[in-house]
Amino acid sequence: MKTVVIEHLARVEGHGGITVELEGDTVGSVRFDVFEGARLLEPLVRGKRYDEVAAILSRICSICSVAHSLTSLKATENAFEVRVSPQTELLRELLYRGESIESHALHLFLLALPDYLDYPSATALAADRPAAVLLGLRLKKLGNSIQEAIGGRAIHPVNAVPGGFGRAPAVEQLIELRNGLIEGVADAKAAIDLMASLPAADFCHSDTIYAALRANVDSYYAGDEVAVVSDGGQTIVPAADYRTLTNERSVPHSHARHSRFQGKPFMVGSLARLSVNPGRLSGSLAAPAARLDFRLPAGNPMDNNKAQALELAGDVERALEIIEQLLRARIRDEPPAPVHPRAATGTAITEAPRGLLIHSYTYDGEGRILSADVITPTALNAASLEAHLRQTVEQCAERDDAVIAKRLQMIARAYDPCISCSVHLVRRR
Amino acid sequence: MSKPRVGIFGLTGCAGDQLVILNCEDRLLDIVALIDVRDFLMASSENDAACPLDVALVEGAVASRRDAERLRAIRNRAKTLVALGTCAVWGGVAAMDRGADRRKLLEEVYGEAGLRYDAAPTQALHEVVKVDLNITGCPIEKDQFLAAIAHLLAGNTPIYPAYPVCTECRMLENNCLLIERGELCCGPITAAGCNARCPNLRIPCVGCRGPVADANASSLLATLEEKGLDRQRIAARLATFAPEGVAQRS
Repeated sequence: MKTVVIEHLARVEGHGGITVELEGDTVGSVRFDVFEGARLLEPLVRGKRYDEVAAILSRICSICSVAHSLTSLKATENAFEVRVSPQTELLRELLYRGESIESHALHLFLLALPDYLDYPSATALAADRPAAVLLGLRLKKLGNSIQEAIGGRAIHPVNAVPGGFGRAPAVEQLIELRNGLIEGVADAKAAIDLMASLPAADFCHSDTIYAALRANVDSYYAGDEVAVVSDGGQTIVPAADYRTLTNERSVPHSHARHSRFQGKPFMVGSLARLSVNPGRLSGSLAAPAARLDFRLPAGNPMDNNKAQALELAGDVERALEIIEQLLRARIRDEPPAPVHPRAATGTAITEAPRGLLIHSYTYDGEGRILSADVITPTALNAASLEAHLRQTVEQCAERDDAVIAKRLQMIARAYDPCISCSVHLVRRR
Repeated sequence: MSKPRVGIFGLTGCAGDQLVILNCEDRLLDIVALIDVRDFLMASSENDAACPLDVALVEGAVASRRDAERLRAIRNRAKTLVALGTCAVWGGVAAMDRGADRRKLLEEVYGEAGLRYDAAPTQALHEVVKVDLNITGCPIEKDQFLAAIAHLLAGNTPIYPAYPVCTECRMLENNCLLIERGELCCGPITAAGCNARCPNLRIPCVGCRGPVADANASSLLATLEEKGLDRQRIAARLATFAPEGVAQRS
């Protein structure tokens, strides 16, 4: 028996590794190990007041700190039945788009792209192909400029509070963002062209089950139902029943550490969002999808990279639309909606850049947290990632360690794992 | 002159300070032209994990035996070790539970398996190794990072503001959230450098940059109590990002 070990996975957020055991042609155990330190943030927020929770739990992860903050606020507002203004809804959606643009550009250009072109890093790639890297950096900066203007900071936003925002962005700020986004449309198109020019990454075929928020409108933030798509069929899970997607807590003493839906692993993220909401690929994304030869149902997890590129284009467009809407509606500085704490439970599900993110809190009558539960996309994806890693090895005709290792890393990176986020993943080291 | 060899590392945290480095989009390629980045796992798959380093930038806190071992190994390689961000400088949000029963918490979150984890009470870097420079912030501010790189390249040590967020807020002529609205604002004791990001948006400072050097926490406590705020709540708020730091100064 031999093992293929990727000691410390590079070009991902956080600390993880991959171990595959091979017995001749038979693949033994396949493990995605996480050795991130335990921060135990959920019990830490116990006793915290409702207006302190989002700022603490956003620290779960930097790359998705907007998603953590806003999902946290939404869970709190759901518990207290707070109605936020339409302007707040729009600003939050815009903030989500900013984060998604930054996160997808970071992942596609700085983390994933070097694999396709055989470079160790984007900075090494920049020596030979500066234009490609600069394109990615421009898009990344565009996303950050939205997060800074709306959230008050690119990482760990400070401006979003229960009920709304501390201060609405000024009209001049929105106009500046609009100008940036107009240039971003051309950059996003160039990103699609670049992705379309990359060598195919086609070495793992799988009948994957996908789960994503079912969006009535084009939104990452609104929506209360998760749809699980498999074999052309759809099952709907309401937000309050989220534990049926995440059996990780229901059997605390077993090793049922990964989320499964009806006993099967499922994938969340960009590819899942497009699979659950194929309507997003009509209209302006139809041509880029054709350019990338992107087809549903997707049987290749590497297509998550293409899906991110498509979303990047869609996000730039949607951000531009939202800004036009805010300007037309004459954005104004408004105080946050009043919040009246009560003893209740609130759950919120949104689409973080990497997929479904769930925050669920129970409050006492004073508005202090009694218990908090956070389920992150990387934790939800863990079982599916291991399944795809296994299939990658099984489908690899060459028993060459270097080839296997490279493919395993590309699959793991295609998931865009955010290991700090995976607060529930069981450490096995 | 040969380029200084630099390593960028993350221990337990959210990777936000490494992300701030990658967020220097306009300067990133200039920075990598001036320094020789030998070890940066988050951004490169080709790293020299053993070479001596002129500068090691380390973010995150020490929350496991593995973290402590890595940090000692980094210290042994590096001439200058820089703690990057509030977790590295003060322990950060995860240090809030240092007094709590860790085994109980582990079991609560991860079940029985949690008891077998490599998990230790969260520590700041200076509690484990000698730290040469602290750049605080949750996350660090981009311009303070760039200034640090410029100074280190020139062989100097950057000097960061020795005054509180309150001073920056006053310079911006904001209405005082603490005095005028009785809100629990940590501005008077928190290290400046963020240009009062939160109070400038009418949001009370949560103290994410940790205490300023001459923080007078007991005076702030007295003022807040006068405003009718509950002592326990104030203490908890002040301890959110830098529990030990505030305890030392109150």
